[in-house]
Amino acid sequence: MGFAAGWYALALGDGLEPGTSAGTQLFDKELVVWRDASGASHVWEDRCPHRGMRLSFGFVRGNHIACLYHGWQYDEAGQCRHIPAHPTLEVPETIKVPTYASVEAAGMIWVRWDGEAAGQPPADIAAVPVRSLYLDREPETVAQLLAAGRAGSFETLSPGSFATALEGADLFLALQPYAAERTALHIARTGGDLPLKDIAMWAEELRASLEALPAAGLAPAARQAGAAA
Amino acid sequence: MSLVLHDYELDSDSYKVRLLLSALGLPYAKVAVNVHPGHEQRSPAYLRLNPLGNLPILVDGETTLRDSGAILCYLARLHDREGQWLPANPVPFGEVMMWLFFAGADLAPATLARLHHMLEVPADADAVGAASRRAFRIMDDHMTKRELEGFAWFVGDQATLADIALFPAIALSRDFGIDHDEYPALRRWMRRVRTIPGFITMPGIPDYH
Repeated sequence: MGFAAGWYALALGDGLEPGTSAGTQLFDKELVVWRDASGASHVWEDRCPHRGMRLSFGFVRGNHIACLYHGWQYDEAGQCRHIPAHPTLEVPETIKVPTYASVEAAGMIWVRWDGEAAGQPPADIAAVPVRSLYLDREPETVAQLLAAGRAGSFETLSPGSFATALEGADLFLALQPYAAERTALHIARTGGDLPLKDIAMWAEELRASLEALPAAGLAPAARQAGAAA
Repeated sequence: MSLVLHDYELDSDSYKVRLLLSALGLPYAKVAVNVHPGHEQRSPAYLRLNPLGNLPILVDGETTLRDSGAILCYLARLHDREGQWLPANPVPFGEVMMWLFFAGADLAPATLARLHHMLEVPADADAVGAASRRAFRIMDDHMTKRELEGFAWFVGDQATLADIALFPAIALSRDFGIDHDEYPALRRWMRRVRTIPGFITMPGIPDYH
């Protein structure tokens, strides 16, 4: 297992408009990423404590996120503040959504996984977000293919982040271990002025390569290097 | 002239027509067809209107039309004087038609996947699910590039029939087990579709977001 405690990118920052939410997964765990009306982003467990509905199916109102089922509203700290069926009720402190530490850096929203062992958050380098890419491939295999140079020349910055150059532009890629057989790559331009659409088209080809390349073709040494990086 | 739409509330193709009729502000009469469990759309009376035995069917005086894509084009040509929904210019016209045919052909597995999950219509669930994801990926790739070039809609700089025809399959995809997590550009575009004046919902598409 090449991935453990650390900070993982879940989305592009400017792809999440104020007052909206998006569902995602990390290591098969469902998370909601949402941005309140004041512009602050939040990463929580994607589960309303009431009936287990995904909060990402709900809607953001001001600085609260509300569940689609029965409209229970939660504040920025995950504390339930309003239950429409019992409007005068003082909501008990125990009705709370588990939250995760998160930061915005390098044009992306990152979550701390899992706890203090994750270390320092990623550096907020100047970056222009391009797109998020979702692949039907195991996260470990994607990381190994990138590290081994099978899909082009990539520099491994950490087990979950890579850099490459494309026609004079510098690109930064953050890998999200989405689920056992699914991976996301969040891509930003960190240098140069290659049009973003061109980078997006390159990314489509990268996705096709990373989904099609045989994992069995990876030399055992490369597999170990990828896992140990 | 009076428009009559033979309609089923849960049918996503009928919804496309209801959505355009609402956006155009056109009055019409709605005839509710008992699709489930009655299969009324395949009764002799309905097969005379549409031998394919499906919905929607639009009757406008002496004219009877089937196929939601054809009905959308007919209504736009007849009632959209500004030419917003079906542009006259050959390039955007061709692009709108490309997405209309995509909606009718490449998104057909998504329609079937939903009917399979909801109404037990026979289907290979894995195959139609995979085909749906392929189609949604093509849509998300397109809207990703459109946004990077500063555009908000599938074609041109305002909503067209392409947006109407493509919206239901992805908006309803949770009905057949496909979340929106992997389609960030479509998620943002679906919010824009909801801002179209006259936008209406159908069961499975919440009215707030």
